[in-house]
Amino acid sequence: MKLTKRSQIRDAHTLAGAYAMDAVSAPDRERFERHLAECEECAQEVASLRETTAMLGTAAAEPVPAGLKERIVAAAAVTRQQPPADETEPVPLAHGTRARARIWFGSLAWPGRLTLVTAGAAAAAVLAVAVVFGVANSSMQQQIDQAQASSQQIAVVLTAQDAHMTTGTVAGGGTATIVMSGSRHALVFTAQGLHALPASRGYELWLIGPAGTRPAGMLPAGSQGMTGPVIASGLRPGDHLALTAEPADGSAHPDTPMMLDMVL
Amino acid sequence: MTASGSQEPRNRARPAPAAPAAPPGTDLAGQIALVARGEATAFDAVFEQIGPSVFGVVKRVIRDPAQSEEVTQEVMLEVWRSASKFDAGRGSAAAWVMTLAHRRAVDRVRSVQKEAERERRVAVAEIPFDEVIEAVESSLERERVRRCLGSLTEVQRESVTLAYYRGYTYGQVASLLGVPTGTVKTRMRDALIRMRDCLGVPE
Repeated sequence: MKLTKRSQIRDAHTLAGAYAMDAVSAPDRERFERHLAECEECAQEVASLRETTAMLGTAAAEPVPAGLKERIVAAAAVTRQQPPADETEPVPLAHGTRARARIWFGSLAWPGRLTLVTAGAAAAAVLAVAVVFGVANSSMQQQIDQAQASSQQIAVVLTAQDAHMTTGTVAGGGTATIVMSGSRHALVFTAQGLHALPASRGYELWLIGPAGTRPAGMLPAGSQGMTGPVIASGLRPGDHLALTAEPADGSAHPDTPMMLDMVL
Repeated sequence: MTASGSQEPRNRARPAPAAPAAPPGTDLAGQIALVARGEATAFDAVFEQIGPSVFGVVKRVIRDPAQSEEVTQEVMLEVWRSASKFDAGRGSAAAWVMTLAHRRAVDRVRSVQKEAERERRVAVAEIPFDEVIEAVESSLERERVRRCLGSLTEVQRESVTLAYYRGYTYGQVASLLGVPTGTVKTRMRDALIRMRDCLGVPE
């Protein structure tokens, strides 16, 4: 059946309700969005209908399961944010590729996959990671360089094809979130809500497995309840990740009870 | 919604259809502007405010609690990631987040479940209006939504609940209710316009 232009337009208008409820097939959605781009009146109508469906949604609110917020906040801590639109430059990236790498976080806590898009440009990623986690707060260039090198390593793990996220509960308080990549033999560790230790002591990470017990780095002091991210490399098959409280300059062997033991 | 003043990220290109039912004293748009600057505490506050709504609507559509948690996480991380893209000139912050949430939930069920299996299950399912309402607590906004849903004709209400709370396309709703697709499209639009007017959302 051939539709006249006028009836096609009327037809598109009618779709506003179904579209605002996501009750359209993918091809319909695409067609309607093309129409929206040209029809200010339709865009206005859809916006007001979206406000309406949002209220249908909030009417269905229910309590969030325990621990979900903590996992999401911890995952955000290792997720790069999109930069805002640059009003002066149409192509904002400093150098390198504009391609976007997709990483897939599988997880033990909630099987399945979650898509995170990270920056393709390493420089941008490094800066953002540094800024997000406050490591660039210091004015000292050396510290920034160090942070950038570490952020680059972190970005490599986060963008690995086999990147996996796991969370664990720290005995004595706090939640640990790690993203690990077997192919990169490394993991990125962050924690939330760890108890502050006296200045003479610090948290130390350990890799424990068939290859022995190896120190995997001291955690920096937390900021606003967040600790890390830090990178632990030299991951071997069969390793566990453990956390202990040690003297501030670290130990060669864990001397105190493990506060976290995560199977990797 | 309270005015957010200097925290608005962009000038308003046109009047925003503000959400009149936002709890007083909270400013989701302002918090999202802070999230765009990477503030973890603001993200926490955003979750406190809208997380239960996101989880609730996602679970309505998906049903499976574990998958609903997963999609809730995807939605909230999307909010974290793209907070800088939120444009207060184009709608309320709640509508922005809830649109992300609903669309992602719908995309999940459509990609995961085979259509035929879904339709078979739908055919034996009750029309969900009562069930949508059953868990309703005595919050004012819920009460208003409930009252406004109640003011729709039965066919309008069925079309809205099947589409929004179940995640069906208008084509699926049409076959379920045994009416032409054109009729369902019209009903959905009429129903939402009526809901909008009943809830006092500006046009």
